[in-house]
Amino acid sequence: MNEWLVFLLLFLAPVLSSVPIALAYKSKEWTAKLPYLSVFGIFISVLMSLYILFTFPEQQYSYPWIPEVGINIVFITDYLSRNMGVITAVIAFFIGIYGLDYMKGDYRPSWYWFFFNLFTASMLLVVYSDNLFLLFVGWEGLGAASWGLIGHWFRDDNDIAYVGKEGRSVGPLRLYWPPSFGGWRAISTIRFGDVPMFFAIAAIWALSPTLNISEIEWGSLFTTLGAAGTIILFLCLLMGLFTKSAQVPFSEWLMTAMTGPTTVSALLHSATMVAAGAFVFIKLTWYIEPWHLAETMHGAGLEGLEYVYIVVLFIGLISGLYGALAGSGMLERKVLLAASTMSSIGLMFAATAASFWVGHFAVLVGFWYMAVHAFAKASLFLVSGHLIHATHSRFLNGGREFAKKMLPACIVTIIATTFLVGIPLLTSYWVKSAMDEVMEHLVHDFGYLPLVLLVLTSVVYAGIMAKFLALNFIKGEKPHHEHTEGGTLMKVGYALMVSVLFLLLYLIFTLEETHEFVAAGAFFKQGMITVSFAVGILALLAYLVALYRPRISFLSGLGTFFGDRMYLPFLNDYIVPKIGFALAGVVQNYGNTGIDGFFNTKVIPGFFGNVSRRIRSIQTGYLSRYVSIVLGVVMLILILISLVSLKGVVL
Amino acid sequence: MMNFTLPYSLSMPMVMLLGAVVILSVCSAFAVKYRNLGLVGAVVAILLGFGGVTLDNPNLVYYTGFVLVISLVNLASLRALKSAIQGVDYGLVGLMALVTLYIFTTQDLAMILAAFVLVSVPTYILVMAREGGANVEVGIKYITFMVLATILFLIGAVILAYTKNAFNGLLYILGYVMLVLGLSIEVGVAPLHEWVPDVFASADPIPLSIIASLAKIVPFVIALKILLATASELTISITLFTAVLAAISMFTGNIGALTSKEPGRILAYSTVANMGYVLACVVVIVKPQYFYFALTGALLMLFANAAGKIGFFNAIKNKGAFSPLMYLLAFSFIGLPPLMGFWGKLFILFTLVKAEYVWLVALMVINSAISVPYYLRLARELGVGWKPDLVNYICLVAVIIILITFLPDWFFRGVEVIAQSVGGIVI
Repeated sequence: MNEWLVFLLLFLAPVLSSVPIALAYKSKEWTAKLPYLSVFGIFISVLMSLYILFTFPEQQYSYPWIPEVGINIVFITDYLSRNMGVITAVIAFFIGIYGLDYMKGDYRPSWYWFFFNLFTASMLLVVYSDNLFLLFVGWEGLGAASWGLIGHWFRDDNDIAYVGKEGRSVGPLRLYWPPSFGGWRAISTIRFGDVPMFFAIAAIWALSPTLNISEIEWGSLFTTLGAAGTIILFLCLLMGLFTKSAQVPFSEWLMTAMTGPTTVSALLHSATMVAAGAFVFIKLTWYIEPWHLAETMHGAGLEGLEYVYIVVLFIGLISGLYGALAGSGMLERKVLLAASTMSSIGLMFAATAASFWVGHFAVLVGFWYMAVHAFAKASLFLVSGHLIHATHSRFLNGGREFAKKMLPACIVTIIATTFLVGIPLLTSYWVKSAMDEVMEHLVHDFGYLPLVLLVLTSVVYAGIMAKFLALNFIKGEKPHHEHTEGGTLMKVGYALMVSVLFLLLYLIFTLEETHEFVAAGAFFKQGMITVSFAVGILALLAYLVALYRPRISFLSGLGTFFGDRMYLPFLNDYIVPKIGFALAGVVQNYGNTGIDGFFNTKVIPGFFGNVSRRIRSIQTGYLSRYVSIVLGVVMLILILISLVSLKGVVL
Repeated sequence: MMNFTLPYSLSMPMVMLLGAVVILSVCSAFAVKYRNLGLVGAVVAILLGFGGVTLDNPNLVYYTGFVLVISLVNLASLRALKSAIQGVDYGLVGLMALVTLYIFTTQDLAMILAAFVLVSVPTYILVMAREGGANVEVGIKYITFMVLATILFLIGAVILAYTKNAFNGLLYILGYVMLVLGLSIEVGVAPLHEWVPDVFASADPIPLSIIASLAKIVPFVIALKILLATASELTISITLFTAVLAAISMFTGNIGALTSKEPGRILAYSTVANMGYVLACVVVIVKPQYFYFALTGALLMLFANAAGKIGFFNAIKNKGAFSPLMYLLAFSFIGLPPLMGFWGKLFILFTLVKAEYVWLVALMVINSAISVPYYLRLARELGVGWKPDLVNYICLVAVIIILITFLPDWFFRGVEVIAQSVGGIVI
């Protein structure tokens, strides 16, 4: 089949299949039926992405758009794109199936499905795009869809959609957010990062003959920019990536993004959109190949790049730890998962950044962790959604009795959490082991700090996953409502999702590039326990402990502190707005008022008014006065002229 | 062209002029009793004059056409005025129109100066016309100034003419200055404009519409002709005086109008400003090869000014005219393309650039901006609904006049030819 047709179907099938439901927004009858069409559209994308994975070679496909400025529609089907494409499409499809049940009877289905599919198309565009500008188009599409979907229940009419405890506030800040505000927080934070990113792309366009990631001469670009230039360029670019991926200090929007429907949380805020930032960083690193540059390049540019990668490494690690700790104090199902998501993405960034010193292997580690995390976290979110529907509450509750009624959900949760935290032999153990090894290799440059942070994060992470399991199905309080019937499609959705984890385990053992993961996960080496195995055991221990005691009462003060996200909301909701309002106040009260007063109301009109009145005051009405003026002027001029000419100035 | 020669070698145009004058005089004399006869006589005379001039020099049709329309509109507007001199006033306007028509056909200094007087004096009487009794107070103010103006102008012209044959630097300068000052007082250029606001506020709007329109054309044409013909090497230095005077007039007029309240006064200051614009054309004498630019600009500006003043003054008399027409006239004054006022200003600006008076260009543009508020205020005050009466039709004709030069190329080419014929003057 023609390549361009494949791409066309890939991107347009989701969008076009949602147009009918968007147009039929007034008809209840049609909006109940048309979601199936939208999901079918995503299914087509799944087929196309699989087709690309199995039949297309690893190459670039270019179609002209604005050739004069070097901006074209360029797709690439390299290792990262083809695999991520399948991951994105499949996850979107499974969640779509789940959503058919979950969103039944909800208001504004047209809005929901349209943005859901628009999101899928945008994410696919980001994944397959080689041209930075086209990628940015998809990037913006993600932002728009995110706003639309998070704020889906914009009428703020049901407490179940809120985040935070009602009435809770710390100081001047209310820690209780409605969906409409959640949507706004998301898009404002992302926008804040997108603008520097856009400038960075523009700078690259100005300095490089091409905008295609796979073709840019990164080495010479960094040399041209020098250290300062490289740092500034990358920090601007990273602003976009960090805000999208909710890294510290931009993580707040992700927490309140949980005001959106769970399907949205599952698709956008666990598996794909927040991963987009990490994905772009992985892709750029894949082509920049900083490990090579470190050998071949000399000079200031390289130093700048090194600083950038150090920044990413530590922001990633710190976000990892922050997310895990914040999750430990969470009492809401989805917000706990959101905090853990941000933590995982931090680890993705860190692992990829480590490639500067470790090499290509680290990038692969980051990417595989992304894949495993996507499926696992999406399953957990889907389960949460079902639990929220069943218990009419967004807080962690549910005990053994409840677990028996919700058996599929319970099983999926067990599988997903154990396969995610790095318990030995289970899927993510091998990937996390590789990550441990990567951090070990950084000993020469950074000491044991990265490894320590990673281990700490892993341990707490394991704990919070276990907490999720325990408080929902084992030791939580009995829910007030129980509505456990039905939801077949929901069960199908998360069952399918979690089953991929088994597939991934299989792939790790059979694919060539992941042999090193397996090697990294070996239990013993030269007679001693490997670091990886030790970490795995620690994770297992943490998991079991948290399973037994999910809440430790004497640490509840610390827990509240973590649950309040260590007061980071103050930055988003208090400090930055105050600065903004102060700035706006100055501009309005001094700048605008000043300009207005000068030009429009006071200075210039006053001046003209005065002069005008002076001119008119000549007209006294008395002829004698007029005559004296005129004769006087005439005489004066004649005399002056005569004097001047006589003096010979003119002659 | 058929040239009917008589024993005294009178040409056809001259015959027609003679005929026109005779008809005009006779009809005006009888018009004291038979008022409409005065109108008929004036119209016939003007048509004869138009025919005569155009037969003589077909290129002048662009000029004479406008003058014809303007004068006919002026005559029409007089129908609404029931003054003491009703009937004879048509004759006065007819005389002014004839002179304006014939001004380009002669090179004789005596004729030219006579033309100046012939255009000026009828206005002394017209300004006093109003319903019931003559407006003597205005008349006295007006005539005092006009007499001053005429004297200065005539003496200045004669001195300049003298220096053409026997050059004397001091005399040239004096003559130039006196001519320009006389012109300034005549048309109302600041700082010698004191009569304008009072007269325009107190006299009846209809004769004012004539004074503000038809009477301004000839003085400028004459001044341009004389100054061009008598130019010398001192011209470059003394032209600065004219430029400064023009600048002062522009600002005085525009700023003065900003806070004026009565429509008549607003129009008075508007006249002061517009006369400043036209006076700026006179600087072209330093670069005589661009004279046709200046002439085009001056004529377009004068015609636009005439049409606009006719429209506005008639509207004041009628206590309002059709609103869109008022706004269009206002836009023409402001200088909005593609109305005639814009083209006039544009050609004047071209002239100034060619003559290298760039600072005057900047000032003129600034002045156009300053003038916007009061013209719009005037249009808003005078704008009402449509009534099919004489005044509204007059305003309609005025608007048609300013719309005609949508693209002024044809007018420009015509004036180019006219300008070539403006050469020396014969003493």
